[in-house]
Amino acid sequence: MNCILEFDGIVRAYRKNPPVLKGVSFSVHGGEVVGLLGRNGAGKTTLLRIAMGMLYPDAGSVQVFGLSPTAKPLEVKRRIGFVAEDQVLPAMSSIAELIAFHRYLFPSWDEELEGQILDRFSLDRKRKILQLSKGQARQVALLCAVCHRPELLILDEPAAGLDPAARREFLEVSIQLLNREGTTILFSSHYMNDVERIGGRVVLLDDGKVRLDSDLDRLREDFCIAMVPKASAPSVVALRNIPGCVGARLVFDDWHMVFQSAPDAAEAQLKKSLGANGIRCVRVPLEEMFVELVGGKRDKEA
Amino acid sequence: MQLIVNPADELPIYRQIMRQITEALAGGRLKRGDKLPSHRDLAQQLVVAPLTVKKAYDELELLGFIETQRGRGTFVCGKLPRVKRADQREQMSGSAKTLLSQAYLAGLNFSDVIEVLKDAESELTGERTAPATARTTALTKDRTKEES
Repeated sequence: MNCILEFDGIVRAYRKNPPVLKGVSFSVHGGEVVGLLGRNGAGKTTLLRIAMGMLYPDAGSVQVFGLSPTAKPLEVKRRIGFVAEDQVLPAMSSIAELIAFHRYLFPSWDEELEGQILDRFSLDRKRKILQLSKGQARQVALLCAVCHRPELLILDEPAAGLDPAARREFLEVSIQLLNREGTTILFSSHYMNDVERIGGRVVLLDDGKVRLDSDLDRLREDFCIAMVPKASAPSVVALRNIPGCVGARLVFDDWHMVFQSAPDAAEAQLKKSLGANGIRCVRVPLEEMFVELVGGKRDKEA
Repeated sequence: MQLIVNPADELPIYRQIMRQITEALAGGRLKRGDKLPSHRDLAQQLVVAPLTVKKAYDELELLGFIETQRGRGTFVCGKLPRVKRADQREQMSGSAKTLLSQAYLAGLNFSDVIEVLKDAESELTGERTAPATARTTALTKDRTKEES
């Protein structure tokens, strides 16, 4: 498959602070929908901005459509749609004026799609941006990001602060795009249910690195959480050395471990390694998996 | 055919779609030769990624439940695959034991379980009747979870 976006060993720090990204590498292929996950401050926005050519990486390289977004900004931006987390639209312009501006910038502007989206979101062209609710402003931002039919859509927490109905409408438009054009989407989000709905693959950033990069269905079926009584293992290191274990932390009186295997296999492996009883292995939704992988210790000592 | 997906369910979405379609087949709400919505339409309707629906369809096709005819769409197969009876019986007896033990632990008796089965049947075939009690609904839910 053709490679649309490629991060290679991206490192980035802000001023003299320790780096936010410490060598992030992954690539996104045509037609993929990739959910970028991570805690607040994990570097999701930084990474997306680097992809947009809005920030330089300190080390490593990024290629979008095989081009550098900082060396060839025009060629790249023409083919990307971007909605930022804190997108600011010109307050005094009307929706119609803003659209006219974008139509002028992008030769490939699709007026039919524009009409459909205005309709779907019930947006009135005459309204001024400052009269819009937060949700409506995001809808306008999405419209501006997609009507030139980008090959790659980068969404930085597109749904943050939206009510559930607005979030669903947002997803519906994304799916419409996927259906029509097979647009490639890279989006960051904290709404795990949304990620499960439209994501095909998830990339989890943690401590400046890619902690997990997996097909979503595989993650749901081939990973599980094992709960092991505290007394049955001496330390977190011992647990992390068990084959298949990708994370372990103490939650009150139990170790919670993330295993890369189906529950039965994980249980067998744990019985072999620890010989302990009272082990329970379960498949969990993405939200639980996220918490187990990047959640803090729930105990003073580990 | 009405489908519902729940992202927070322990089954991945494509499996939820597969299960509901096979249930509709089992209950006769989907019949041989029936046309299914295109994966893009169903994706739009359920608000899930088109590739997820495609994956569900592909898996069902591999299992021999549905077939895609180029340019015409996706249809329920004329001849549905049959699992060997003996294997099936063994599996069913396992599920039956789980069901019964859960029911007895919950204080239901054998005839209550029969009621539960009848409710499940009418749900499968689409002659949806209101479940007898809240308790039995909870039980049916648990059971389907266990099976999956």
